[in-house]
Amino acid sequence: MTSRGAGQWRIHVVLIVAATLMVVPFGWEILTSFKTSNEVASLPPTLFPAEPTAGGFRTFFDKTPFLAQFLVSAGSLILRVAGQVFVAALAGYAFARLNFPGRRTLFACFLLMLMVPSQLFLLGQFDIMKGLGLLDTLPALAIPGIFSAFGTFLMRQAFLTMPKEYEEAARLDGAGTFRTFWSVMLPMARPMLAALAVLTSLYSWNDLLWPLIVAPAGDARPLPVGLAGLQGQFGTDYPTLMAGALICTLPLVVVFIVLQRQFFAGIANSGLKG
Amino acid sequence: MTRQPARPRTSGRIDWSAYAMIAPAFAGLAALYLWPFLSTFLKSFQTVPVFGPGRFTGGANYDKLLADADFWGALGNSAKYTAIVLLGIPLAIVLAAMIQQVARGRAVYRVLFFLPVVTLPVAVGMVWRFILNGDFGLLNYALSLIGVPGQYWVADDRFAVYAFAVVGIWMGLGVNLIILGAGLQNIPVDLYEASALDGASRVRQFFAITLPLLSPSVFFVTILTTISALQMFDLVFIMLGSVNNTALSGSKTIVYLFYEAAFVQFKQGYAAAIAIVLLVIIMIVTAVQFAVQKKWVVYD
Amino acid sequence: MTRKTLLAPAIVAVAALLAGCSSGSGSSESDGPVTITYGIWAGTQTPAMQEIATAFTAENPNITVKIQERPYPEFWSTLQTSAAGGTAPDAFWMLAQQIRPYAAGNQLLDISDAVKEQQVDLAKYPKAVLDLYDQGDGKLYGLPKDVDTNAVWFNKALFDKAGVAYPKAGWTWADFRETAKKLTDPAAGTWGVAAPLDYQGGYYNSIFQAGGKVIADDGKTAAIDSPEAQAGIRFWTDLQADKSSPTLQQLSDTEAETMFEQGKVAMYVSGAYWALKLYDNQAIRAKVDVAPLPTGVKQATVTSGIENVGYAGTKHPEAVKKFLLFASGEKAANIQAKSGAVLPAYQGAEKTWMNAMPEFKNLQVFIDAKAYSVPLPVQGNAAEWQGLQAKYLTPAWDGKVSVADATAQYADAIDKVLAENG
Repeated sequence: MTSRGAGQWRIHVVLIVAATLMVVPFGWEILTSFKTSNEVASLPPTLFPAEPTAGGFRTFFDKTPFLAQFLVSAGSLILRVAGQVFVAALAGYAFARLNFPGRRTLFACFLLMLMVPSQLFLLGQFDIMKGLGLLDTLPALAIPGIFSAFGTFLMRQAFLTMPKEYEEAARLDGAGTFRTFWSVMLPMARPMLAALAVLTSLYSWNDLLWPLIVAPAGDARPLPVGLAGLQGQFGTDYPTLMAGALICTLPLVVVFIVLQRQFFAGIANSGLKG
Repeated sequence: MTRQPARPRTSGRIDWSAYAMIAPAFAGLAALYLWPFLSTFLKSFQTVPVFGPGRFTGGANYDKLLADADFWGALGNSAKYTAIVLLGIPLAIVLAAMIQQVARGRAVYRVLFFLPVVTLPVAVGMVWRFILNGDFGLLNYALSLIGVPGQYWVADDRFAVYAFAVVGIWMGLGVNLIILGAGLQNIPVDLYEASALDGASRVRQFFAITLPLLSPSVFFVTILTTISALQMFDLVFIMLGSVNNTALSGSKTIVYLFYEAAFVQFKQGYAAAIAIVLLVIIMIVTAVQFAVQKKWVVYD
Repeated sequence: MTRKTLLAPAIVAVAALLAGCSSGSGSSESDGPVTITYGIWAGTQTPAMQEIATAFTAENPNITVKIQERPYPEFWSTLQTSAAGGTAPDAFWMLAQQIRPYAAGNQLLDISDAVKEQQVDLAKYPKAVLDLYDQGDGKLYGLPKDVDTNAVWFNKALFDKAGVAYPKAGWTWADFRETAKKLTDPAAGTWGVAAPLDYQGGYYNSIFQAGGKVIADDGKTAAIDSPEAQAGIRFWTDLQADKSSPTLQQLSDTEAETMFEQGKVAMYVSGAYWALKLYDNQAIRAKVDVAPLPTGVKQATVTSGIENVGYAGTKHPEAVKKFLLFASGEKAANIQAKSGAVLPAYQGAEKTWMNAMPEFKNLQVFIDAKAYSVPLPVQGNAAEWQGLQAKYLTPAWDGKVSVADATAQYADAIDKVLAENG
């Protein structure tokens, strides 16, 4: 498309304007987090903090057990991602490459689950966690997310596209089904595994409704719930709220900057659906 | 979506170990999804007190739901929200096509547009609630510079749903861009070159080549956006901010109503009925979209 | 990196977390050391509550009290969820308008035996508050922790600037409205008063001042649509109509209390529970003063208070009972009073509370107000019908619907809720 170079600057102008609109809220968030609450409420608004202060950050760290909440967020993410990838890869492989009675019917059941809005499961899942005595624990946050029809669907897609030859070679070497899966096919599915892991991380990190419900006592509340609570407590103390929003957002943004390729691959392969 | 062979490449002989491999997934889905689904379905026919077991009251919850002005209001709000968020798709198509066209800076643009996706929705809601504040929000200040009177965007139920929707577009743009971008990359370059030789303008090319060939991706994005928009919760929960919000009673969405019934008022039978109705709505909307797609989605 | 090396540290981390999570619960034996949790909502009272917990453990070395803090609106939804799920805090704060479903659902610990055994003198507590929590089932679910009445917080600097005399005891509704008008200065962006849609710190007071009632005496029907009650509500809608107050939308974006702290409204009607927050704000401390509520047909303020209650599902009922009696007892009352956080329910700590904030000279008005106080209306599932206020009364505040129509519709809605719980 080299012949199109001439009109490029016009496209850039549009894109830069659009990108600016995307970034302005973040810029405003950062600037506000260093202001005092009186400055925030003054008119007309100031662009840069008149007297830069870390007061918002201090209040946030004072009032929020950030480290504990971060560990909960990270711990449930690890549990959920590891479980989901494992369970989905196994089932996805079976659906894609193995022949067994009832395969189509069972897979259709999985697909049907994809359609159902997650709210429909919440009441029952809450009852199950309650029954298991898992309320307010880390596993309760992670367990439902481990079993996702979507992950199975995604892994099936990955295995479907693989050539038969490797599998047959492994079988000729005398490897059983599981061995073939584990040492030959699974390594080849690595890009999709990474994509699934990244997507699952995103849902897990961002999820609000389920943790809000299943961690009522608060010993196992992840960052989004803590952050939502911050707003309940400091309704209009915007420097503190913005500082909190910034801090809680930062970890995933850093991971994203490092693992961009996996993020984009994950989304491109699948779209965003939890 | 990746193209796939029509039939799985399974070897002919039956492999019984397959059952062991799908067992974890199947057990989990049955216990944590199928069973809750059934129990919710049953609950929707029960009156469940705050504490203790429920008792069957037939279709009472549904009768009440259909007579509840709040439910219809929430349904309308969800519909408005979804409709506006869908307007973000044409925007995403144009932007994706533009990013595809530039020779330099693609990676930077993608990252910038994607930032809201990796931001906690709770944080997004907080930042925007501040920007949309009626007295000292950035938006009203910017509007005042060009002589447009400000509004209490998230405290006025004439505006709140639209405000949520604009933020929803902002938040989802990155995802749509990536999916559509992947679709664009699958369009063979020689098609453009051939039509350029015929003297087609870039705008013409966009409508004659890009849009039709991109239509499967557009359809996919439309389905995803619709389903997730109908289930919007986080933004509304955060941007409405507090129970004292004057826009609260006029700006609830279906899932907010569900949350409120289930976990604030603790009327779980009623909440279950809301969830079932939501399922029916999503099924109908998706079915309609699949029926209509035959008219506009081009498969090669 | 292979999958194994990736997973191993992850598993270790998760295992460590799991262990950390479950280590909080103590043993269930009555003699060994136990830990009980105390659920409160976040605010200025937390340090005082921490101090009370520490003092309790000093007396009862075997019992540790862990404070569990929640932001206010979420406090109730999580309490309900956790009570239903069996993981509610062992002891927690309760409000009179919320207690009904918990008591009816057998979620609360009956402490009457402990009260009898320890010979707690109930006369030391305000009868009005005790009555609010009485469910008529012969049980006692808790003891009052604090008591609140309402008065008018005002900003002296804004009065001085407008050249208006400070409010005095005995002032009337007409004085109040006139004062609010005079103090309003649109050019400076200041208002005479904040007139939010607030029941406890707002229109219930004026309904009683007008000689009206919210709920009829039989407790089965609403009386909020009576002419007297309507007059009480008009007290607030008039302030809105005069534009002496920020609109409800403005108050929704920035809460009334915050606006008062920012010096944007000159008068704010509310309870004694704001005293410490205002006192702690150095920017406004010297400017704040307080006056009694204006008199309508008569003088009145609603009164209520938080109670300390226990969870029926607790593993340590005896320890919890002990703590509840302590937390509502004399020592705890003095700790609360000294911190200034709140006016304790237990008689005799008023002076200490006032002395905690020496620069606020007129805190006595809150104590004097007890003499003409009326219990907060909490019949039936009060939280539910009170929660409907925004839906029905907002249009009246906005001037879009007449007070008569709005209250008539609201009264119907209240009647329905009361009938459901009848």
